[in-house]
Amino acid sequence: MKKMPDRHGRFGIYGGKFAPETLMAPIQQLEHAYYTIGKSREFKKELNYYLNNYAGRPTPLYFAKDFSKLVGCKVYLKREDLAFTGAHKINNTLGQALLAKKMGKSRVIAETGAGQHGVATATTAALFKLECDVYMGEIDTQRQALNVYRMKLLGARVISVKSGSRTLKDAINEAMRDWISSFHNTHYVIGSVVGFHPFPVMVRDFQSVIGKETKKQILKIEKRLPDYLIACVGGGSNSIGLFYPFYHDTSVKFIGVEAAGKGLETEYHSATLCKGSPGILHGNFSYVLQDDDGQIHPTHSISAGLDYPGTGPEHSFYKDTGRAEYHAATDEQVLRAFHLLSETEGIIPALESAHALAYLIENKKRFKSDDIVVVCLSGRGDKDVNEVAKIEGAQL
Amino acid sequence: MKIKEKFNQLKKEKRTGLIIYVTAGCPDINFTEEFIVKLENAGIDFVEIGVPFSDPIADGPVIQQASQKALENKINLKSVFQLCQNLKSKIQIPYLLMTYYNPVYKYGLEKFAHDCSDSGVSGVIVPDLPFEESKPLTGELKKISIDLVSFISSTTSPERRKKILKHATGFVYYIAVHGVTGARDVLPESTYRDVASLRKESKVPVAVGFGISNKKQIERLKCCADAVIIGSYVMKEIMDGNTESLLETLKEFQQILKSSFDL
Repeated sequence: MKKMPDRHGRFGIYGGKFAPETLMAPIQQLEHAYYTIGKSREFKKELNYYLNNYAGRPTPLYFAKDFSKLVGCKVYLKREDLAFTGAHKINNTLGQALLAKKMGKSRVIAETGAGQHGVATATTAALFKLECDVYMGEIDTQRQALNVYRMKLLGARVISVKSGSRTLKDAINEAMRDWISSFHNTHYVIGSVVGFHPFPVMVRDFQSVIGKETKKQILKIEKRLPDYLIACVGGGSNSIGLFYPFYHDTSVKFIGVEAAGKGLETEYHSATLCKGSPGILHGNFSYVLQDDDGQIHPTHSISAGLDYPGTGPEHSFYKDTGRAEYHAATDEQVLRAFHLLSETEGIIPALESAHALAYLIENKKRFKSDDIVVVCLSGRGDKDVNEVAKIEGAQL
Repeated sequence: MKIKEKFNQLKKEKRTGLIIYVTAGCPDINFTEEFIVKLENAGIDFVEIGVPFSDPIADGPVIQQASQKALENKINLKSVFQLCQNLKSKIQIPYLLMTYYNPVYKYGLEKFAHDCSDSGVSGVIVPDLPFEESKPLTGELKKISIDLVSFISSTTSPERRKKILKHATGFVYYIAVHGVTGARDVLPESTYRDVASLRKESKVPVAVGFGISNKKQIERLKCCADAVIIGSYVMKEIMDGNTESLLETLKEFQQILKSSFDL
């Protein structure tokens, strides 16, 4: 078995380091720090301490009895919505902030779409006494106003990005530009399995706690491995975190669900793996949504966290090799799933996570009654309540 | 004209070269063509033609804005190659393309190299393509003797610098500031020392860019660099509609660089 990624940060043909020369030094410094400090026993011990005592891990693997009846198979929810700050993002930010601290950095920066990663970064920055600036597209600051205020409460500065499409992609551009001039004292906490090597592998490793716990929990409850793992994919960190520890368990099928927005046949979606083609964006070679000239496409999704025209190189590799299949759910299907889980199980899912549920609901015929399906409930939906109310015309 | 020939000429004339960056299609493509001809008449030595990309992470606000304008004008590699075809018979000085890797990759590396050669392009600059990832493109460009310009920053380690210099062709682009493109009043003091030592180490000429916009900087750079690159300052003046005064200023810069020195 070849090492994945290889020493150039390649997953098959995908990945790599497409960075401006000025960033090559900090990237190599980070790579070195991750493979020495980050892999050390002491670091892992300390990180585990915070994951368990601060973030509330392990998160439950919950058998959703009534939802299962509805879709006709055994559905388990990996409750990342119960991790501190309300989403899986904290797994990664704890790891990166701790590493930044050990590297002697005094400041962290981050990009955020839905605001979950921004909040998680601001939280860990407060915990480890690091200065924190979060870049957020102007449009996202409007649709996720609550999270903007949460970040400010935590002592972070939120910088509204007014360039380009004013969403996640542009927030990443700005964060990268900041890092080019600030790396001396600043670590860039990327929120997903994207960016230059070693970010995709480092974020995957920090998020793998999701899959490792799931494996242990399902074996204890069901005495066997699940048949399907389903998770939403934007950049793809919660999905890789769930999938990766099962990579060699070939009986376990991986299903990634992207945002089909207003429909895959329209221009208003963010389904990079379903509709994109290989290209270079934000430092790596991976699937991207682009036009014939190689210009990156504007995207659309009801969920700010999936509103991104790229995806992780490891997902691109899984797609080409057939290890995972990728589908997409429309805004409409997602809203139905959002309501359905709220009503059947009393759990309001994040709109991002509702994409994974929507696939299951729309394709229930595919699953047999004794199939075990684990869905990553990557975040809670409180942050989306305002937006959904607005869409549905509810008066608050 | 090849990059090498131009630098040989500069050496003979004992002066430092001036490289001007222009975003193609800002404010429109006809302006770009006429402006480049004027640049040659003003005594500029090289032109760097920017092909817009939607996500230019190494660029500051001015070039972002210029690229945005060019994209609104539907400028792509095809239209820039057409521009280069037109320039072929109009100017003598070497012109280079500067763009990010994705438009080049999407165009097709082989076709890109072919069209560069066909339209008289002498060099290519791709800021998000470091040494480690550049093999596929250099492979194609080598076949038709077009240079891929290598970047070196003050953050580049000595071993890495050696590796980059070993394969460098055309010239080396030294990044003067830790940051994105954009005019600065002063450059870090270390720039001048670094460039001087880099010149000793490099077998190809060294051009300095990022942050350059005034006479004081140029006065000092002429003593240590083979060429100076100006971009954001130029695009800012163009977008503000100050083209005529800009050309006068560039002529003054050129005069400063002309005053003899011993390299």
